[in-house]
Amino acid sequence: MKARLFLLQAAAPVLAIGFGMLISSIIILAIGRNPLEVFGVMVRFSLTRTDSLFSILFKSTPLILAGLAVAMSFRVNLFNIGVEGQYYMGAFAAAFVGFTLRGLPAGIHLPLALLAAMAGGMLWGLVPILLKIRRGAHEVITTIMMNYIASALILYLIADVFRDPAQAGTPRVRTPDVAAAARIPSLAPVFNRLGFTGSDVQKLNALLLIGLALCIVLAYVLARTRFGYEVRAVAANPGAAEAAGIANRRVEFWMFMLSAAIAGLIGLNDILGFFGYLDIDFPKGLGFLGISIALLARNNPLGVILAALLFGFLDRGAQGVQFFARIPKETIVIMQAIIILAIVVAYELMTRYIRMQRKREAEGTPTVSPPAMAPAP
Amino acid sequence: METLTSLLSLALIASAVRVTMPILLTALGAVYSERSGVVNIGLEGIMIMGTFFGAVGNYAFAQAFPQTVANAPDLAPLAGVLAAVAAGVAFGLIHALVTVTFRVNQIISGVALNLLAAGLARFLNILLFTQATQSPGVRGFTPIDIPVLKDVAVLGPLARGISPMIVVALILVALSQWILLRTKFGLRLRAVGEYPLAADTLGVSVTRMRYAGVLLSGALAGMAGSYLAIEQAHLYFEGMTQGRGFIALAAMIFGNWWPVGALGASALFGYFDALSLRLVRLPVPSQFITVLPHIVTILVLAGFVRRAQMPAADGVPYSKEEE
Repeated sequence: MKARLFLLQAAAPVLAIGFGMLISSIIILAIGRNPLEVFGVMVRFSLTRTDSLFSILFKSTPLILAGLAVAMSFRVNLFNIGVEGQYYMGAFAAAFVGFTLRGLPAGIHLPLALLAAMAGGMLWGLVPILLKIRRGAHEVITTIMMNYIASALILYLIADVFRDPAQAGTPRVRTPDVAAAARIPSLAPVFNRLGFTGSDVQKLNALLLIGLALCIVLAYVLARTRFGYEVRAVAANPGAAEAAGIANRRVEFWMFMLSAAIAGLIGLNDILGFFGYLDIDFPKGLGFLGISIALLARNNPLGVILAALLFGFLDRGAQGVQFFARIPKETIVIMQAIIILAIVVAYELMTRYIRMQRKREAEGTPTVSPPAMAPAP
Repeated sequence: METLTSLLSLALIASAVRVTMPILLTALGAVYSERSGVVNIGLEGIMIMGTFFGAVGNYAFAQAFPQTVANAPDLAPLAGVLAAVAAGVAFGLIHALVTVTFRVNQIISGVALNLLAAGLARFLNILLFTQATQSPGVRGFTPIDIPVLKDVAVLGPLARGISPMIVVALILVALSQWILLRTKFGLRLRAVGEYPLAADTLGVSVTRMRYAGVLLSGALAGMAGSYLAIEQAHLYFEGMTQGRGFIALAAMIFGNWWPVGALGASALFGYFDALSLRLVRLPVPSQFITVLPHIVTILVLAGFVRRAQMPAADGVPYSKEEE
């Protein structure tokens, strides 16, 4: 029974990805192209070239953090849709610490910048969670509103307050350069020694390791520690948890803050790892991708790594498809959205099937045929 | 003093009325959906579909039947509105299928719809117009005067030369209020949102009523989008909804889940929206005016303005066989 349950859980994402591919195939057919050829280009471009592989890792780095951030709030049934705004604030805070402080050694400056990023994210997360706990304001809408406010505030800060004076007279709207000591070191020296070179190798930086470490640590914390137990109890049955002496509000608050702190780090892959300054055109939308990744991973920190790699692969593949097969890369965005819809339906059906099986077992009747794909009426 | 008069100027109020409409129509849709017990944060995405199909339907009709359009120019924008409503209903159908039939979390489905809409609009725009972010320009409805009001001294300027969609939207508010309060359909819709088990026991199909609520919300949000594209911007461009779908949800909450309340709240948000568009000379940076509606939304949700009375079973999936 246990092995079958595990198989079933693994089958759900595979089925959903298959369904996403099916719908995109129909779209590709509809515009008169051969889906097999398009997917072939995608796989060949993404997986057989060194630059693509490193590009996927670079693209996956913020996605791991974004997925993890969203997953941490989902774990206590809170919907932090505000990861987007939280990472804008984190990115600005890190850049601010990076370009205002000078002459610090890297051993102090970089950790300070990372802490500032987390504090920036948490500051932006504090408003919605306090309003949720104190005033009952639904966090979905308040976090979305905070995203718009963050976007306007960052625009104001970059364009009107901290614009790099050296760029005056140019159309570039960006902050001054971050001190070298606050930049996240590239992983290129390691890979160069292994014989990998190129600009995509150069881009890959140590934030990837931080993301992976966070996933592993949080997987352990959630599965094996007292706090992790409390989190699971609050998520499964808040009433029972409260009765057992677990303060729901406290657990929810800290998980939301954890989510916002991780969110603060998302932008650093580009800001401290690559550009070295905060530009008005810095990558946006990563927070929303994080929602998709958390859903795909079922809020499991280790699953987040896999889901982020998949999305990194799809993103890189989309570029290849656009360039070599001349199919709009939005086809892949649509595929991502379909995968998400399919995965949540698949997980729901699976959960329902498992519940039914348990009920049957409890009642002592023999189990019957495998699950019907059609929903119960 | 100068600032104060400009804050109440007729031009500003007329502009506020115009920008209120998309928020109002979507908020009205949200009322139907949430009254039936389904939270629909996919309304933002449905609005995006509405802006896109509103422009495309309008443009395609004008291209396909130039003769007809020359004689009756209002048919093209009408085709746009109908296309937008159809697209909205189609998206509503996905949301209903996923949340009512499959009983997946309603927030998650809404988030996925928003992603889908953003990708789909870009994709279709590339296919049709070879670029991702913008459609060709389209023609709006011929402006109309409201018969009696146009002669009233103060209201005159507001009742002359306005979009017929504004009149339709205001009629829809009154109609919806009456439907929800007085008709059998309205009573049943509210019943499945408050206490689905009781409604079910009395023979009301919870599934059917919830589908109705969600599909109506899709139709109205699609129409709201078409208003933005056809009447306001005269084209579709990417990101033109600017989160108005979410603001509409807040307006619906502020309006206490009633059409007339949603009208009042939408008008308030519309006013701030107009203020940010008009750039009345104020001693603060423009970005701060832009976010005023968002800040007010947060204050409203936090109950600093009034206490919310949401339908009891709002957001809770219903199934016969369990629990």
